[in-house]
Amino acid sequence: MISELGHYSLVFVTIFSAIIILQSFKYVLSEQIVFKNNLYNLIFLQLFFIVVSFLCLLIAFLYSDFSNVTVYNNSHTSKPLFYKVSGVWGNHEGSLLLWLLVLILFLFLFILNSKKVDNKYKLLTVIFQEIIILGFLVFIIFTSNPFEYLFPVPNEGLGLNPILQDPALAIHPPILYLGYVGSSLIFSSSLAAVISNNVDSGWAKHIKKWVFISWIFLTLGIMLGSVWAYYELGWGGFWFWDPVENVSLMPWFCLTALLHSIVVLEKRNSLKNWTIILSIATFALSMSGTFLVRSGILNSIHTFANDPSRGLFILTFLFFLVVLAITILFIYFDKNETKSDNFFLISKESAVLVNNWFMMYFLSVVLIGTIYPIFLEVITNDKISVGAPFYHKLIVPFLIPFFIFMSFGPRLKWIKNSYKKINYKQILIFLITLLISFLIVHNSGVRYLFSIFLIAASIFLLISSFRDLFKKKIQFPQKISHLAFSILILSILINGIYSKEFNSNMRVGDQVKFMNKTITFKSINFYEEKNYRLLRGNFEINESGKNPLNFVPEIRIYNQPVISTSEADIKTTLLNDNFIVFSLLKEGEIFNVRYQYKPFMIWIWISVMVLAFGGTLAIIKK
Amino acid sequence: MKTTLKLITIFIIIVNSQNILHANDQNERLDKLTKNLRCLICQGQSVYDSQSDFALSVRDLIIKKIDDGDNDQEIYSYLKTKYGDWIMYEPQLGKNTILLWILPLILFIFGGLLIFRKAIIKLDKK
Repeated sequence: MISELGHYSLVFVTIFSAIIILQSFKYVLSEQIVFKNNLYNLIFLQLFFIVVSFLCLLIAFLYSDFSNVTVYNNSHTSKPLFYKVSGVWGNHEGSLLLWLLVLILFLFLFILNSKKVDNKYKLLTVIFQEIIILGFLVFIIFTSNPFEYLFPVPNEGLGLNPILQDPALAIHPPILYLGYVGSSLIFSSSLAAVISNNVDSGWAKHIKKWVFISWIFLTLGIMLGSVWAYYELGWGGFWFWDPVENVSLMPWFCLTALLHSIVVLEKRNSLKNWTIILSIATFALSMSGTFLVRSGILNSIHTFANDPSRGLFILTFLFFLVVLAITILFIYFDKNETKSDNFFLISKESAVLVNNWFMMYFLSVVLIGTIYPIFLEVITNDKISVGAPFYHKLIVPFLIPFFIFMSFGPRLKWIKNSYKKINYKQILIFLITLLISFLIVHNSGVRYLFSIFLIAASIFLLISSFRDLFKKKIQFPQKISHLAFSILILSILINGIYSKEFNSNMRVGDQVKFMNKTITFKSINFYEEKNYRLLRGNFEINESGKNPLNFVPEIRIYNQPVISTSEADIKTTLLNDNFIVFSLLKEGEIFNVRYQYKPFMIWIWISVMVLAFGGTLAIIKK
Repeated sequence: MKTTLKLITIFIIIVNSQNILHANDQNERLDKLTKNLRCLICQGQSVYDSQSDFALSVRDLIIKKIDDGDNDQEIYSYLKTKYGDWIMYEPQLGKNTILLWILPLILFIFGGLLIFRKAIIKLDKK
């Protein structure tokens, strides 16, 4: 019953989508281009029905209606309420429904927010966005319908993969989707602006808000995924250069480049074509991200729904959209752009170009590293892995010039700067940072010239961003985000250099010495919970002159489906994280115990949140 | 061109200088080696991270090889012939992977040239 309602609502949404496209076409072609109120109503109705459809699936999950295949495959009566709710989007079908909900919601908000803009541009944006919506509707109804029936109705469901039963991961997909979907709106709007010959500072000002919104959600979404990997996977790392992590990072690089170039377009009315290309690329990368995660082509821990035919549909649809975009660009390309503006070699504009240059390089490293093995396997049948060492070797060395450029970029003016005088103060600061960096690297035990320069460059960036806080001519949100970014980088680097770990097999009662600490495996207890059994270990770490630390990591054995997971126990302070995780070995009485000391861990999360907060300020402050 | 070659050489030296330092401790060496090896039967875990039978046997194998006095390269190539390139997280430079390593760098230089050209054209006009 509830599934039927959900299904028919989806059909209504599809019909509305077709009507809106036809109506908008009619208006665009009419002599006096108008945006009539009935379009608002149609989009509102479409939003209403997609909300109904989503609520139906939610209710089916809440009441464990196992006549619904999606619910049966992904839920279980013993699952806590919170995970029944997050189970709605913790699977392929439901996540697509959420994706559609956000697509339509964003279009509705966009239209409400665009009362004063040109009608033709607005209508075209609606058309492009509705084409995307229609494509996904066809996809969901024909290949991934979340409302399919199951008969006879089973008494119990299969349950949600326990590794996905985590608060960070429960909200990770919706947040990430908000970012991805935001990029679709940027895509539609930029194509509309190209056709209606509207690509100027006015358009930049209008769309900038949406660029920021997508960027904020994408940033937070990536962070939540990383938080999940850190707490749940139990390996102590927060970034594994896993293909699925990479596909979320790629649009982020593109969007970050766009975030900077859109400001140039707004302030200087230049970089028009480049901004449009970035808009299209961001969207294409977001979409192919969905495709790659769904398709099962990527070998990854995160892949939870594999079906090549679905991947093929998204790939074909994406191909169609990109060809459409390129055709439109080709027809309406602004060839006169380069003639119209003034360019100064040392200016904020060229600083933004340098930012874009590096962003595109990082993007190309991640893109090539992610897709190269797929192509190689198809062509030569050789299987290779591209892992962390590859990315580190190609990205890290380039960070040094990038940080130096980033230290100076924000201080430049839009037009002419004097650059002849040598700034002794800057040189002095750099020498001091070199010294600090030498001390940091020297004490860590790793003594490479390279690390010294890398840390020095990031400290230099930190000092510059901090000094910029007191400069009046730089925008406040930008100052906050740049400072947060420099703290993020420095935390990651110090974390990388100073992290210590220890890995050993222990019995209850064993004692191990590591660094200047003694780790004692005191006891182990068994408990029974609602949907899992658990083993709780009790560990103590003693360090001379400090209070002993108690750790209670867990091994959980879920009943539906039967999977065991290790829950790390992490003691977080402002300076470091102490992390203990243990897992079962075959012998039964022996456990594999891993202890990790990770400095500045919390600052990685804090700085990303501040980074995104800076973006929020930019939206509020107009 | 010469300067570009010089820069590339310096770049390669800097990047590889990290490998010159040998970990004295045998355990550290074992950790370093196993972190660069994929556990073939796990999903997205390294031999270092995994407790699977496969990972444990690879670890024993490496300990034996270290005791035999093999260097890192010899151990890697032994494992590669046994299990294929798939086991290595760091793709080795070869005819299959030359594009993988070079393409991003070419794109970087290309991007730099584009910006440089833009700057030169604009300055010429003035």
